[in-house]
Amino acid sequence: MTSTPHNPANTDILVVDDVVVRFETQEGPVIAVDHVSFGVRQGEFLSVIGPSGCGKSTLFNVIGGLIGHTSGVVSVGGETINSPHQSIGMVFREESTFPWRSVTDNVAFPLELIGMPKAQRIERARHFISLVGLDGFENRYPNELSGGMRQRVSLARTLASEPKILLMDEPFAALDEQTRLLLGDKVLQIQQQLKQTTLLITHNITEAVQMSDRILVMTYRPGKVKRIVDIDLPRPRTSEIVGSEAFGRYVAQIWADLREEASRGMRDEEEHALHHVSTT
Amino acid sequence: MADTSRVTPLPASVPVLSPVTLLRLVIILTVLAVWEFLSHSGWLYRDVVPSLLAIGRAMFDLLAHGEYYFNLAVTAGEVGAALAIGGSLGLVVGIVLGANRFLSKAFESYLYYLGPTPKIIFFPIMIMWFGVGPGSKIALGTLSCFFPVALSAAAGMRQIDKVLIRVGNSFRASTAQMVFKIYLPAMRHPIINGVRLGLGVALIGTLLAETKLSNKGIGFLIIQAYSIFDMPRMYAMLIVLFVLSIGANSVVGRLGGLDSIKRS
Amino acid sequence: MTMTATTPTQRFRLSGALPALTGIGTLVAFFVLMEVFIRSGGLNRFIVPPPSEIIASFPRIIVEEQVLHRFVLTLTECLTAGVMLTVFGVSGGVLMHRFKLLQQACETWIAALASAPVVLCYPLFLVIFGRNAWTIIMMGFVSALPPVILKTLEGISGTRKVLVNVGRSFNLTPTQQFWKILFPAALPTIFVGIRLGLIFALINVVGVEFLINFGGLGQLINELAERYDLAGTYAAICFVVLVSVMFFMILEKAERWLTRAE
Repeated sequence: MTSTPHNPANTDILVVDDVVVRFETQEGPVIAVDHVSFGVRQGEFLSVIGPSGCGKSTLFNVIGGLIGHTSGVVSVGGETINSPHQSIGMVFREESTFPWRSVTDNVAFPLELIGMPKAQRIERARHFISLVGLDGFENRYPNELSGGMRQRVSLARTLASEPKILLMDEPFAALDEQTRLLLGDKVLQIQQQLKQTTLLITHNITEAVQMSDRILVMTYRPGKVKRIVDIDLPRPRTSEIVGSEAFGRYVAQIWADLREEASRGMRDEEEHALHHVSTT
Repeated sequence: MADTSRVTPLPASVPVLSPVTLLRLVIILTVLAVWEFLSHSGWLYRDVVPSLLAIGRAMFDLLAHGEYYFNLAVTAGEVGAALAIGGSLGLVVGIVLGANRFLSKAFESYLYYLGPTPKIIFFPIMIMWFGVGPGSKIALGTLSCFFPVALSAAAGMRQIDKVLIRVGNSFRASTAQMVFKIYLPAMRHPIINGVRLGLGVALIGTLLAETKLSNKGIGFLIIQAYSIFDMPRMYAMLIVLFVLSIGANSVVGRLGGLDSIKRS
Repeated sequence: MTMTATTPTQRFRLSGALPALTGIGTLVAFFVLMEVFIRSGGLNRFIVPPPSEIIASFPRIIVEEQVLHRFVLTLTECLTAGVMLTVFGVSGGVLMHRFKLLQQACETWIAALASAPVVLCYPLFLVIFGRNAWTIIMMGFVSALPPVILKTLEGISGTRKVLVNVGRSFNLTPTQQFWKILFPAALPTIFVGIRLGLIFALINVVGVEFLINFGGLGQLINELAERYDLAGTYAAICFVVLVSVMFFMILEKAERWLTRAE
């Protein structure tokens, strides 16, 4: 059930090899990502899970090419990543639709960048809008949509650029639990339909188990790979799986790993706060 | 800028000035150089751009004579009175409007739309009501600063976090306790911001009124310099006036713990 | 009260209109009281003319004093200043955002200038530009410039980080990043800046017209006051206040319309 965390196979489409990210802060250097290695296989859904402060968002930014890393290599299809790569499409945790563009224009944004003619890109955009289930909302503006719908617009916008790898940073974090589950279903359905290679960063165990083929558990600061768990649940999956016994076992197993890290994080934060009080 | 005052010897390769300070110096020196060049070029109508030396001398003259301080005191007194009257009226009206939804709906839009109208045009009326002396200037300043203070106080009253009020009520605080321990502390920032805006417009109202009709005050001195075409003196007075008003504004901001002269 | 006869929805609507009616009612009552008070000799009618006299002098002012012409003149001056404000203010803000060093060096200066009584420079402008419309326009322009620059800068720098990151994740060039992300994101704030700028411009244009006795509506007030045309002065002041309130309302509507998507 548990595979070895290191030695990425060379069939992997995305390879993270021995990556270290160190930040210089006022209180000295902080290692956010500590010698992390893993690979993402073609067509696979891999989740990275960890307590807050484990550096998973840093990892997201590094793979997306938004920030640099101190050492190690990130490569996609053999090409090293130092800046945003066209094969990787990012979906952000925060609300990231363009408020000044209609749903269609938001989704057509990446197509506009490659100079696709207007009629064609509107047609393509329609396709992806329909894929995320927003038919009928093409001409609406983001402020007329709910949070969940806006996040679907962001997803459609990223999918429209047809990335080899879909990279998502807690895309459902700002949503309520029911919306989150239903939107999870939608993502699963799309992922299975497009056979989209997906890397999801999350701190939600249910979400991770529900969607993933494999889950990578990270340790609390410095962020290392603690374990990679294969999720051997039948596909196609929906949120109904959440009730099954096998599902519960996976959740319990990952929680056992995560609990240790999360409580370590909590202790650390308490000490930090205490230290802060005594120095100020 | 702090690093320029450091006297510890630095290696030659390290610049003593930060790039920002350097750029500021470059801008200031360029402006001064262009100014001085223009003043000597004779391209412009005489004395529109007096030489820096003349302005410096005028400023020295200005600050060395008691006359300026007397007029400054007159203007400061007028602005202070305007701020005290208009500010306290504004505060009371604002708190009442902020506390009462009905009154706010009935009257606040009038204040909101009358706020950004020119106030100096009321000066002829103020002269008829309060005479040509300081009274009419104070009245104009009062009229100017009433609106921003009232509107800020009303908005500040409404934006108090409702949970703070519930907390106060849950401890069975009396009305006076509520006002002094919950409402006013929670409204401190919008009120100070309103006073800052009020100070700015009261200053403008009072000074403009002085330039229109008066026989003392800074506004009077400026228009006097204009009428005898003493340009160096006018520049000197405008510079001193700007420095003083920017200083006053940031002092009020500091009092409220606001970021001094940031965008309003 | 006939409240008993109204349906709940009607009552709801009535309670919605009640505050507005109270406001208007108070205003009307105030003027009626003033009228009675002044006519009964409680106030000197040569200091405060009765409201009816002020209203009666409106047509006279409009016909004899070429109010329409003056209005157009003031509006033209104001809009000229507005065009200059938009061009120089917005490009100034963009420039300062583009060159961070310039922003670090100058932003506090401009913020300080925004809190200085710039309009007091009008005698200076009178010397530089002479007694003509340019003094008025330039004064309106200069005194309203700082907020436009600062708002533009605020809008661009205030672009949410995630939108900037979206642009970066799509590999935008700096030019694309500016035109497709930063500028549209800043546009609502820039509109606020331009609206503020136009309001300041109108206030200062009218003020300077009054002070230097030249041009449109501001001069009208000055002239009528110098002629001791009391009712006329009051009427003209009311007219100018109404014009500025309308101007303010139209600008708000325009801004709401322009930023309707957000």
